[in-house]
Amino acid sequence: MSALKTPLQRGIAAWLVFAIVMVVLPHLVGTGVTRSFVFAMYLAIFAISWDVMSGRTGYISFGHPFLIGIGGYTTALLTYHLHWPLYFSIPTAVLMTMIGGTLFFFPALRIRGTYFALVTLAFMELIYGLVQVIAPKVTGGTRGLSGLDSLVTGAIPNYYLALVVLLILGFSMWLLIRTHIGTALSAIGMDEDAVRASGINVTKLKLFTFMLSAFTAGLGGALYVHYLGSIAPRALFDVGFLFQILVACLLGGAGTITGPIAGAFFLTFLLEWLRPYIPGSERFLIYGTFALILYVMQPNGLHELIRLGIKRLGLLAPGRRAS
Amino acid sequence: MTQILVQGLVLSGFYALIAVGFTLIFSVGRVLNLAYGSFLMLGGYIYYQGAQVAGLPKFPSLIIAAIAGAVFGMLVYRILVKRLSGNVVAVEIATLILAVVVQAAVILIFSPSPKSMWPLVPGVLRIGDASVTYNIFIAAVTSWVLLGGLFLFIGTTHMGRAIRAVSMDPKGAVISGIDPEKVNILTWAISGSFGAIAGVFLATYTQLDPNMWVTPLIIAVAVVIVGGIGSILGSLVAAHIIGMLETITTSLIAAELRGVATMLIIIAVLLVAPRGLFGKSEL
Repeated sequence: MSALKTPLQRGIAAWLVFAIVMVVLPHLVGTGVTRSFVFAMYLAIFAISWDVMSGRTGYISFGHPFLIGIGGYTTALLTYHLHWPLYFSIPTAVLMTMIGGTLFFFPALRIRGTYFALVTLAFMELIYGLVQVIAPKVTGGTRGLSGLDSLVTGAIPNYYLALVVLLILGFSMWLLIRTHIGTALSAIGMDEDAVRASGINVTKLKLFTFMLSAFTAGLGGALYVHYLGSIAPRALFDVGFLFQILVACLLGGAGTITGPIAGAFFLTFLLEWLRPYIPGSERFLIYGTFALILYVMQPNGLHELIRLGIKRLGLLAPGRRAS
Repeated sequence: MTQILVQGLVLSGFYALIAVGFTLIFSVGRVLNLAYGSFLMLGGYIYYQGAQVAGLPKFPSLIIAAIAGAVFGMLVYRILVKRLSGNVVAVEIATLILAVVVQAAVILIFSPSPKSMWPLVPGVLRIGDASVTYNIFIAAVTSWVLLGGLFLFIGTTHMGRAIRAVSMDPKGAVISGIDPEKVNILTWAISGSFGAIAGVFLATYTQLDPNMWVTPLIIAVAVVIVGGIGSILGSLVAAHIIGMLETITTSLIAAELRGVATMLIIIAVLLVAPRGLFGKSEL
């Protein structure tokens, strides 16, 4: 391991190991598990999107389902009604998420933390109400739309599609937060005025991360909708869905990109593992309580717990102590 | 016209009741309690259990619900919020998770299917050519009484002065010999009991279901944003603006647009006066 001295090198090595394991994996497990992995990867993409925007800055978004929903609905409507090919509708959906999302969130970007969270939550409820009321014939109203085209069929092709997207997005965001931008975002979370006073254009920076987050959410949302083949307001604009994204990020450790990915996998498999014992939505009770306890004990998530654990082991190891 | 005015006024009073518990915690403790909707839901379910399952009289059931709400409020503060004190973001997130956990618990105990509640007072009240149900009218009257009581309490008593002091400057309050812990516990208890009472009325007004915590939370949020942080009087005015506007939209334009008008006001207020109409930093 002498070649892997810097944290960056070790991180890249970890990404490589993760990628290799994930590429091999579907050949080792059954279709059911593969499908669980597909879900976990989409959840991870949404979690990355949340993490870019909220993980470090302290601008907590409760409206991510709103962004994901814009992407999902745009591509669903374009393909369902206008029969656009997916290769055009998905990029359009991503663009729509970035434009529409920015327009809607821009007033919110001008206000500080606490209000921001409230407003984004309100946006989610607003769009939930609007989708059902305005042109229910087009949007499918409360029941939504089903029978949407799919990009690829079968568990394994879908698995690789999600994997490629996850790896590209995850790795590039991970690299990004290791640059000065990541540092600046953390600084915003600590003291925004100080960041502004040191000559950084805070609004521009926030807008940039917001667009990045919207891009990720839009792409993830559009692909996810075509994977599911259906879309409905209560499945997307729902506190339960928001809760899964949030808990994935917090369990894993917000602001680290890798943490939320791990959190999403952990959460999905915890859910799957609990399914035989508790089939209904009471599972929320178990992992919600678990997440709450963990969060109160260690707000920085499993990422921080593991880091502390490694540090402690390192300190206790003989020979290291002298240095 | 009278119908809209009467109904709007009554609905506004009801909204003020829903929002005041949320505002109180926000202005005193400086934290957002996103589990506030759970207080209402809990109140509704406990009242249902008392009055419709166990067959207790209505008024004692309401009192039991209010006490349970107060206890729950204090527990949330002691177990969760106090531990995270100083970290506003962590409190927001933790209380939101708590709200979902409570929802899951309610589903587990009471089943996910909605339950209909009997009105506290059946019948319809006629004022001129307008009519409102006694139930929502009583809700509004209760709200006015409770809010009046709260104003008197905060304005005239020693404890009320302590609450105001903490909301202005916690450090200064400690220096003058006030125990902020006591003040916080008290405000969470008041918030919990007000929430539970509002929840009973909300459940009789709509229905009892495990998702019912979202709507009152949004209403409370809207009232706080429009009224401004930390102003109870502002909340009162905001509740009336929102209640009136909502009544006008639903009765003149379309009933489905109930929440949309509220959201538009929120956005407008944020653009024009981001601190809210009556925003100031203390009660």
